[in-house]
Amino acid sequence: MAQETMIELNRISKHYGRKIALSSLSFVINKGEHVAVIGPSGAGKTSMLNILASMLPADDGEILVDGKPLDSYCDRKSRAQKIGMVRQQFDLVPQLAVIHNVLAGRLSDWSLWKSVLSLLIPQDKGRAIEALDRVGLSDKVFERTSSLSGGEQQRVALARLLVQDPEIILADEPVASLDPARAEDILKMLTRIAAEENQTLVASLHSVDYALKYFSRVIALKDGKLFFDRPVSEVSDTLLAELYSLEGNSQK
Amino acid sequence: MRKMNFVTLSMMLFFLLFIGSWYFVIVAENASLSELFTEKNASHAAEFFKGLIGVGEDNNAFLSKTSWKQALGLTRETLQMSMMAIGFSTIVMFLTVIPAARNVADGTLTLSQKWHSWLSYGLIRASYVVSRAIPELVWAMIVIFIFKPGILPGAIALALHNFGILGKLCAEAIEDSDSRPVRNLAAAGASKTQILLYGVLPAVLPQFLTYILYRWEVIMRTTIVVGMVGAGGLGQQFKLNMSFFHYTEVSLLLVCYLILVFIADFISERSRSFVK
Amino acid sequence: MMNFELHKRKILTFILLLAFVWSLLPVDWDKGLLHAGGLAMAGQIFEAALHPDFSPDMIMLALESAWITLAYATAGMSLALVLAFFLGLLASGILAPGNKSRRWLKRIFRGVLSFMRAIHELVWALIFVASFGLTPYAAIFALAIPYGGMLGRIFAEMLEDVPAEPIQALKMTGASAWQCIFYGYLPIVRAGIISYSMYRFECSVRSSAIMSFIGLGGLGYQIQLSLDDLAYSQMWTFLFFLILLVVIIDGWSTLLRRRLGS
Repeated sequence: MAQETMIELNRISKHYGRKIALSSLSFVINKGEHVAVIGPSGAGKTSMLNILASMLPADDGEILVDGKPLDSYCDRKSRAQKIGMVRQQFDLVPQLAVIHNVLAGRLSDWSLWKSVLSLLIPQDKGRAIEALDRVGLSDKVFERTSSLSGGEQQRVALARLLVQDPEIILADEPVASLDPARAEDILKMLTRIAAEENQTLVASLHSVDYALKYFSRVIALKDGKLFFDRPVSEVSDTLLAELYSLEGNSQK
Repeated sequence: MRKMNFVTLSMMLFFLLFIGSWYFVIVAENASLSELFTEKNASHAAEFFKGLIGVGEDNNAFLSKTSWKQALGLTRETLQMSMMAIGFSTIVMFLTVIPAARNVADGTLTLSQKWHSWLSYGLIRASYVVSRAIPELVWAMIVIFIFKPGILPGAIALALHNFGILGKLCAEAIEDSDSRPVRNLAAAGASKTQILLYGVLPAVLPQFLTYILYRWEVIMRTTIVVGMVGAGGLGQQFKLNMSFFHYTEVSLLLVCYLILVFIADFISERSRSFVK
Repeated sequence: MMNFELHKRKILTFILLLAFVWSLLPVDWDKGLLHAGGLAMAGQIFEAALHPDFSPDMIMLALESAWITLAYATAGMSLALVLAFFLGLLASGILAPGNKSRRWLKRIFRGVLSFMRAIHELVWALIFVASFGLTPYAAIFALAIPYGGMLGRIFAEMLEDVPAEPIQALKMTGASAWQCIFYGYLPIVRAGIISYSMYRFECSVRSSAIMSFIGLGGLGYQIQLSLDDLAYSQMWTFLFFLILLVVIIDGWSTLLRRRLGS
């Protein structure tokens, strides 16, 4: 099976002052893959995702997305079509109605005039409702986002991602502040959507169980370095125990 | 849902008020905006601003030693007026603030309730409302009738307006204070005065200090206004020079005034963060 | 640590007390502070408060003046809001592309805002009247400038306090700077802005009343006229209307703020 390369990291480094967040990290992710990034806190998961999202500049190394350097997606529209992101639930604007938070996924396509008009008369309403329907929130279209529960808010973020429809989804701890049942619900939805839309998914997770259950490949980071990178079937308990052991951290 | 309705209603009311006001200004008062920018007005305004920076004036106040001396003297006077004003309003505030707190009146704070505490609460709160609602300038116009000219009537006028604001703010600070230490003190057998001295005041004094400094800032900015009706300071001279068209004097006084206001801002901000 | 804190407050209190005592020095306390007959005058003035002139003509005049005062305040406030929106947006630095330009933008527009509010509205009014004559716009502009400065500063501070996460998320969806303002910043600060503007609205009514001192109509003008005629009971009629107007708006704004706050 000939696979298309979607993301290629080449010797990426990042440090904050003297603290090293990522040191010479390299790997390749193919189109349509679902990858979980795990590792102890402070291993560099969030830094890596922020660099991929070009929210954070890397100090060294290069990133290719779909064969082109990440910098070439400098205009907001082409970047939004390529890369979308979900994080914890603070990502939404709590004071807006659900539909406007969902339609924010269309902002890269809209003119300023159209987006302001949409706050009064929602534009592309059908698309937003369809997305909300897919995440099971079709009854909350016009509610204030802050009145929704944490799990529901995260589903709104997924609906926004559906409307944005990027080729790559970056998920930074998407279920960190949810209880287990809700967390599984969101992950199930996220992986299902990514599969249906044929999107590439890279998610950082604090829980190994979720990574093994919902993803096909696991990248483990420790102290900013690649600890292992293998399909889920080849991840062993001994490897995991080593990953989370405190030894490596003590030298810092 | 009712909550949103009140907000929407208020917005609509404000919108109506907005339309009505501009309609009134433009149609009923017949004030046309375009008339403002006629050539005559433009030359007039240019003349005025040229005067302010001293173009074509024979005696430029910025170059005159006597003008500077006078302006600096007035600046000091204005500074003293503002301090006197905040001092007076603080004294009146301290005399009235305790009965003006709701939790003192209903006895939750002092744990003793008397029929007259509601009476004094109501009277003091009413005096705060009157004091607050009447602007400094109007107070000054009245006070000038009674006191001899000088900075004292100005300070009294400023104090008359500000004690109400200060009193309201500080009474609310007492209302928001924690009542637990008070209950402990009461349980330990403290008297009413002891409760106030040890339980309430230490907790609210820092807040009072912040409010006093903040009001001083505002008073500083207003001193020039009470002066205009003859209550001394920079304002009085400002008004006089304005009517005699001594425009460089006007701008010299304005500069002094601005420096005062910025210094007051700076000092108040610094001392607030100093005690934080 | 705690002790030091206490001392700092004591030192400051002591300095403030000294300043107050210094401020009392220039007053000539011995020579009599009141005009001859000043006390009698005070008695007359405050006695008149007990029987204000509530004749129908007076009430009509007071109502009309109260409306003028309110109308100028509203018009001035609406202009102030427009000024505050644009200047506050610039002073918050959220439109700046880089860190360095942000610092400069903030510094410059903060300076502009503090200059606007440092000068009292009545001084602005005098300047406007001197430059383009006695028109309602002199009063409206004179109100709009300092109030725009006050509102603009608070607006800028609120915008700076907006949490970074939702804005970053909006940027990730491809939103432009202005789209971030409409979809992120504005909805987040909306309630705060309304509360603060309502609070300032009450103050602007008072300011509008004193605008009349320079000859523009309204309650203050009538108060001044009746004081000139020594007609104290008429003065109190207008004063009571002013108090009523302020109390109504204060009540409205308190209610609204409570609704928005909870």
